[in-house]
Amino acid sequence: MRSIERSTSAQAAAAELAVHARNLRKVIDDRVILDDLGFAIPRGRYIALLGANGAGKSTLMRILSMLTPPSGGELSLFGQPLRSTSAGMRRRIGLISHQAMLYRDLSPRENLRLFGKLYGMRNADQRATQLLQLVNLADRADDPVKNFSRGMTQRTAIARALMHDPDLILADEPFAGLDAPSTHTVELLLDALNKSGRTILLANHDIEQSLRLAQQVLVLRRGKLVLDCPSSQVSAAEVLKEIGG
Amino acid sequence: MRTTLSQILLLVGKDLRIEARSRQTLGLVITLGLLIVVVLGLGLGAEAAKGYSAMAVLWVAYLFSGVLCFEKTMAVERHEGAMAGLLLAPVDRGVIYLSKLIANLLMMLAVALVVTPAGVLFFSFDLSAAPLSFALIMGLGMLGVAAVGTLFAAVVSSTRLAGGLLAMVVFPVVLPVVIASTQLMLGIFRDGKELGGTGLAVLIAFDVIFVTVSWLVFEWILEP
Repeated sequence: MRSIERSTSAQAAAAELAVHARNLRKVIDDRVILDDLGFAIPRGRYIALLGANGAGKSTLMRILSMLTPPSGGELSLFGQPLRSTSAGMRRRIGLISHQAMLYRDLSPRENLRLFGKLYGMRNADQRATQLLQLVNLADRADDPVKNFSRGMTQRTAIARALMHDPDLILADEPFAGLDAPSTHTVELLLDALNKSGRTILLANHDIEQSLRLAQQVLVLRRGKLVLDCPSSQVSAAEVLKEIGG
Repeated sequence: MRTTLSQILLLVGKDLRIEARSRQTLGLVITLGLLIVVVLGLGLGAEAAKGYSAMAVLWVAYLFSGVLCFEKTMAVERHEGAMAGLLLAPVDRGVIYLSKLIANLLMMLAVALVVTPAGVLFFSFDLSAAPLSFALIMGLGMLGVAAVGTLFAAVVSSTRLAGGLLAMVVFPVVLPVVIASTQLMLGIFRDGKELGGTGLAVLIAFDVIFVTVSWLVFEWILEP
């Protein structure tokens, strides 16, 4: 009886975590990209993932978004082990990347409708309209994406990632190439999503911006986790030192 | 099953809409097909180009146009990481393969609708003896070529050797299709035989094997 109670409470505790990684490894062509990573992200947290180029941030994002499998270790999302075939799990993850992941010849509305329907949404049209208003693109909803500026394309990409209302938002360098107003818009959007209960993992190069936005910081150096602490307890200089080693 | 079908229709519709809007592929491949017919027709000379050589020339036109179709439709997925967007969604990778195959096949058929009459006229090839057999043989042949081409286009598009490599990979693999369909048509149009026999069995078997195998292995070869 006691062991059942313990097991139930362990499951409940695991379910409170959006992401739980243990000994996570990724090896590509004999090169170790991620080396025995272990971390936990509670639900509803805003986490910044920092590291130099090649530290393994994007690889970790690709593993968490189920685009590529890990080479070893254990990974669970929302208390469930991650399996590449799990359609239900895919519905809970949204990835914003520096690549737009959009069809350039289609309009934002057509892109959003397509992805919404692929996620099995019945109200895809309504949701697309709502999101295009949220990212301030309602007046350009029917123009082809190829005519958009970098900022407008990125806002469309964010709307695409949010189309299926994911619980975990993986933002891989979402500010890359954006001007100041667009950066501010994306910052506000991510903040609003976090306040509405979404868990956010933000991979970023701007240390000060990351410390300002996120509640917790993870720093990767050559595939290893070298810092995991609340952002209020660490300075930009300390983070920079950890990144550079 | 219903979800799978609706996802395939969605993705095929997406490919056709992109093509209708960009007009990048079809105009190019039809022009290429027509040029091949004309150049080979003139090159073969007036006598040699008469009649049955039309079948071989048409196959050359279909193959080169097809390869260009496969490259272009896969390039759309590679631009700005659109394929990664598809792979993030709860869509079976086999569904992505089947939708791409159908879109490619429809484009090849559109090319054939223009290039075939041109070839028939240019080579004075009399199709009236068995037009339905001709359509069936070419349709089965194109399905086999599209099945192989769609698979290898996905493989090749993620390498740096995309341009040109696809033709080198696809042509040797689809050789049985070209030989079987050409022999079948010679039998029908030159020798007056009925449609059937080993040639037809080879075409059907090739289609079944390559569509099934490609659908199954697509999951492992598709990189975002």
